[in-house]
Amino acid sequence: MPDWLIPALITLLKAVLVALALLTAFAYMTLVERRLLARMQIRWGPNRVGPMGLLQPLADAIKSIFKEDLQVTMADKLVYTLAPILAIGTALTAFGGIPAGPAGSLFGADPWVYNLDAGLLALLALTSMGVYGIFLGGWASGSKYPMLGALRSSAQMISYELGMGLSVLGTLMLIGSTNFRVIVEWQALQGWTILFQVFAFALFLVSSFAEVNRTPFDLPEAEQEIVAGYLTEYSAIKWALFQMAEYVNMMTASALMATLFFGGYRGPVFLDGLIPGISGWPIIWLVVKIGFFLFLFIWVRATLPRLRYDQLMRFGWKLVLPLALGNTMLVAFHLAFLRPSGLGLWFLGLLSLAALLVLFVMGDRVRSLWSAPAAPKVPAKATRPVGGD
Amino acid sequence: MMIAFILLGALTLVGGVITIAARNAVHAALGLVGTLISVAGLFATLNASFLAATQVIVYAGAIMVLFLFVIMLLNANQPISGRDPIPFVRELAGLGGVVLAGAFTILAVSYKDPRPVAEATLALGGGSASVIGETLLTRFLLPFEAVSILLLVAIVGAVALVQRPVPQPDDVPDSEAELLTPPVGSAISRGGSQPVLQHQSLQHRNDEGEVRA
Repeated sequence: MPDWLIPALITLLKAVLVALALLTAFAYMTLVERRLLARMQIRWGPNRVGPMGLLQPLADAIKSIFKEDLQVTMADKLVYTLAPILAIGTALTAFGGIPAGPAGSLFGADPWVYNLDAGLLALLALTSMGVYGIFLGGWASGSKYPMLGALRSSAQMISYELGMGLSVLGTLMLIGSTNFRVIVEWQALQGWTILFQVFAFALFLVSSFAEVNRTPFDLPEAEQEIVAGYLTEYSAIKWALFQMAEYVNMMTASALMATLFFGGYRGPVFLDGLIPGISGWPIIWLVVKIGFFLFLFIWVRATLPRLRYDQLMRFGWKLVLPLALGNTMLVAFHLAFLRPSGLGLWFLGLLSLAALLVLFVMGDRVRSLWSAPAAPKVPAKATRPVGGD
Repeated sequence: MMIAFILLGALTLVGGVITIAARNAVHAALGLVGTLISVAGLFATLNASFLAATQVIVYAGAIMVLFLFVIMLLNANQPISGRDPIPFVRELAGLGGVVLAGAFTILAVSYKDPRPVAEATLALGGGSASVIGETLLTRFLLPFEAVSILLLVAIVGAVALVQRPVPQPDDVPDSEAELLTPPVGSAISRGGSQPVLQHQSLQHRNDEGEVRA
């Protein structure tokens, strides 16, 4: 057996395990989401299948696999089949790059599927490919509402990708690397990035919601406006694949937030006094943090109404993008002038917090930026007085 | 690595052929996406990971989505039928392709490294973002800024093209004050001239009636 074969097999095994874990997590995520939403709306939610409804995902899975796979006549056969595969493929691949523990901590193996120097960039590249799944699915259905959903999703995802990429730029400049492991280890030494970049985190959070098409940004599948958007003509397992892709993307976004801003796979160090080495245990801390953000996704869904489409676009271009750019400038200013003069990271943290507070206070003042169409350039015509002379 | 390079090169060519041979505009655009991703893979096999990621983010992830957006929005995905409006377009394209292929062959045969490969590899630093950024903003600052200005010009041009025309002032008086004190050459002073009146709308004539009364 050649030398390269064993690492390759281990990597393959890890990839399969990650994919299985993600798909199981997706299945139970649907149940948790429905139960939580029900709880927040003071009703029961699914509790019939198995104890406390725990077998509901199994029933759903069996149903969607054995349901008839419909295909509309006007569909573009090849692209119609390819789109869901592309969506779930990119979603699963993107998650593999996130490290779940320190090197060699998983029974001697590294707890990640692949680790690239351009880790964050590669992940952004993969998630930006995810838009093709939705986009092509909507187009290939050959019908009007999916088309509208596809157009909406592509415009939305491109717009918020910019805000997302720019808002993590400050973190990257502070740390000086795009490798996830370096990012996490830097935070283990200096403290979580959220302490210095709370403003960037707020922007990143908003952009992430838009990137994964969740409420209040779920315009591509807005039921009340365009039936089910890009999903309208899909049924059975293809529909389930799209759902899987959406939830896996949510998990990737949560893992990204945890890794970039909340210390990633490292747990709190003070627990080391109780149980030595607990902050270095693989997987558990990342899962806890992901779980928190997934809860946040569900919570927001139960709380906020959907934006109007033009508001969504204006919000992205007129608020998130300039503010993310401003945050980048702030970090650059800190690195170029404040740090040489002896002011530490805490000062950047204060500036960032002040920026967030100003945004909260000014929220109502700048609301007109996105809530209404821009004022027309044409001066309003004076109305003629009613009546004769 | 060599096998991966050859495979990716073949995929690049396949994508390119699909791009020009597909009858459906969306399929052609997807072929181009395939080409761009394969080129990113080629960059990755050459240890230029930053360039590979940027290629996917910018070209495949953003620009091609906009291409597809426009194709779908304008419903331009019907196969084109009928003759090409430009005469000899195929012959010209064939000629251009031959010239280009010849140029590349000559380049490939006569290429000499500007500096030794080992030194260049060292300077590349594994293709990481920091090395590329530093090189781009020091040694290649002028071309970099020139490209930025080029893009800026393109953006300004696009905005200028899609802007709605500024509303031109018409002869219709807007307020009562204007109606009561008509400027020279307005509706009342040329009230007797028939041809002008014929061009004016019914509404306008009524307005004049009001004023005369």
